[in-house]
Amino acid sequence: MRKIVCVLIVLSVFSAVGASVASADRTLEIFHWWVGPGEREAADEWFKALHAKYPDIQVVENPVAGGGGVSQRVVLQGRLAAGLPPDTWQALGGAELKAYVDGGFVLPLDDLWAQLNYRKAIPGPLANTFKFNGHYYGIPLNMHIENIMYYNKKLFTELGLKEPKNFDDLMKVMAAIKKAKPQMYPLGLGTKEKWEAAFVLDGIILGEGGPQYYVKLFKGEIDVTKDKIFRTALEKLAQMKPYVYPYHSNLTWDQSVSLVVSGDAAMVSMGTWAIGAFLSNKWTPGVDFGAYTFPQGKDRYLLFHADSFVLPKGTAHPDTALDFLKVTASPDLQVPCDVVQGGLVARIDIDPKVFPDPIRQEMQAYIRDNPTKLILDQHGSIAPASFSSEYWTAIAGFMAADKPNIDKTIAQVDTLFKTYEVKKGAAWYVWP
Amino acid sequence: MRLSLILTERRNSFTFLCPSLKTHSTQKGIVVGTSNRIETVQAKRRKYVRSKYTLPEFLVFKLPLLIFVGLLYGMLVWTIVVSFSNWQGTAPNFDFAGFKWYRLMVGLDRFQVDVANNLKWLSLGVIPTVILAIFIAYLLELGSFRKLESYIRTLILYPVAMSFIVTGTIWSWMFDPDKGVLNTILRGVGLGALQGRFDTNPSTATYWLILIFVWQYLGFAVIILQASLRTADIHEMTESALIDGASRLRILLQIIIPNIRSGILVLVSLLLISTLKVFDIVYIVTFGGPGSATDVLAFYMLIATFQQHLVSLGAGIGVIIFLLAAIIVVPYTIYAFRKWFE
Repeated sequence: MRKIVCVLIVLSVFSAVGASVASADRTLEIFHWWVGPGEREAADEWFKALHAKYPDIQVVENPVAGGGGVSQRVVLQGRLAAGLPPDTWQALGGAELKAYVDGGFVLPLDDLWAQLNYRKAIPGPLANTFKFNGHYYGIPLNMHIENIMYYNKKLFTELGLKEPKNFDDLMKVMAAIKKAKPQMYPLGLGTKEKWEAAFVLDGIILGEGGPQYYVKLFKGEIDVTKDKIFRTALEKLAQMKPYVYPYHSNLTWDQSVSLVVSGDAAMVSMGTWAIGAFLSNKWTPGVDFGAYTFPQGKDRYLLFHADSFVLPKGTAHPDTALDFLKVTASPDLQVPCDVVQGGLVARIDIDPKVFPDPIRQEMQAYIRDNPTKLILDQHGSIAPASFSSEYWTAIAGFMAADKPNIDKTIAQVDTLFKTYEVKKGAAWYVWP
Repeated sequence: MRLSLILTERRNSFTFLCPSLKTHSTQKGIVVGTSNRIETVQAKRRKYVRSKYTLPEFLVFKLPLLIFVGLLYGMLVWTIVVSFSNWQGTAPNFDFAGFKWYRLMVGLDRFQVDVANNLKWLSLGVIPTVILAIFIAYLLELGSFRKLESYIRTLILYPVAMSFIVTGTIWSWMFDPDKGVLNTILRGVGLGALQGRFDTNPSTATYWLILIFVWQYLGFAVIILQASLRTADIHEMTESALIDGASRLRILLQIIIPNIRSGILVLVSLLLISTLKVFDIVYIVTFGGPGSATDVLAFYMLIATFQQHLVSLGAGIGVIIFLLAAIIVVPYTIYAFRKWFE
């Protein structure tokens, strides 16, 4: 008996060791958070594109349930601290990627960027968010535009409403909807993940202060306690409250999109990825729902962030990772993947007509013609994560309070800027 | 006899951790063992002493022990070390930072909200559960509907069998003020005026979460109290008290509660531990929201460590939770067990 137990234990130990040693050379272990509806299909597209080019690569996926990336970061951080990085992982350009660069976990990809001439293939402001200390890191595969309002197009036609261009227009439109349809909430919102309320505020800040102000604010260069623009933006956000879905703290972003589909809300402020969610609800872009970037006008700026994949230091399969990154930079992967997932493509040499919907066709064409009208957003991108996460919570709390307290929120945000040293942490970002 | 053998073996297996135990165990083995079997015991013991331990024994008994002690207490010490270091960002950094993160933590609004919420959980999660459980156990054991007891017990025990992930999701659907069951029923029976905002109201959300906890743990609490009711000779005592003309309430307060004191003491310490480490209900139902209204320390620990990348701050919050446990739960538990064995 004793011998059997002993042999069994020894065998199990050996088999565990053996399995990790005898893995194939062409393995690609990948961490990503695209596991939700619409995103899962996009991930399948990118592996299809990879296998078309390199049939011998074996993909080992470690997708972590939950989406959004919190659960994924838990596992990834453990692996990195233990010195066992996956072969590549998903990271947002800007502050999040910078955290991995500062930690010394990813390698620069200057050679690959030069070889692919990638700097010229994508808009300048996008490339700048992948450049730290003069080196390029990671390969971006898409752009997500954040300051978009989606609306029920049939309802707008029925009520004779036009897409609002600025805050005052928006208030008028919301008042008109409330008057015509008392049962309906003019603006849908879900703040369970916290970042959604900050999206609405982003549009107001951009309209109030303009692009230079937006960048300076999230670089921590503005003293919000003395600043009029930030206070006005919060006041305007508070003014919107009667028109906003009141139980937003219970909803995730996709549920807030569903509010528009179910007819409970007329509009929702969400990034490009909402298109995928509308599509999965069988809503046709341009027919059932429309979209406009907010604020509109002659100085139309698009707030963006981008997904990328990185080349880790000390990975077991750097060659397969590099092959994967080459495919990531190519239209072969970006077109099918981004069309399905709901973002824009990173390359501006791709014809905007690849998108089936007029909304993205228009935005992609706008970016191709005006690449400088892109600004990195605050969604985990300009300021360090320690600030962003708490900033979202503060704004979500502001929206949820019965009587939004502007002074308290300003003091809170000011503390966050100082506590988490945003001025130092966001100094890398230069715009334009 | 069997017991003494096991005892001797166990003691011996500990000797490599604590050599002083060895002599003690030798004496105990002889003392406890019955005289006609002493030789066998001694022979067995000699064998163990001679070979110390064989490899399989080490692997099966001592290695798990070492791993357990190493993981639990090693990690505890490690967490304390990290909380005094300067680990922020993705790369480990163990430079000594003193009380930097504790000072920062105390100044954070969110931390103050968390401590207040944790105290709410500690008091409101435990006291109502215990009181309700006493009444239900009393009714089930001594009430007039004893025939239904087994059905009712199954009914209230069901929630315990489900995980918080499941019950939390169900409750969050029920709470939903717009489309949830609770408000729909209220509207349906014409009590629309009583509709609530439940977990979307920042000032009361935590209480609704605590309600889920109470509901989930009630069955468990009733079972413990029922068990201790059955060990005491409650029926005879209540019957004689009834004959003497005592009221039902007096019987409950002066006969039943003193007799199930040990059960109550154990129950309270179990509930205290469960409420202190509460995380899953908050994570599932509100994700700490609205804003940070229902945030608790354990949830903020996750956010600070993995979303804010402030690992030292997260470790510091972990230490605070540990200290709360050490200050509130551990002394209580020691007190409770002392009372129990009196």
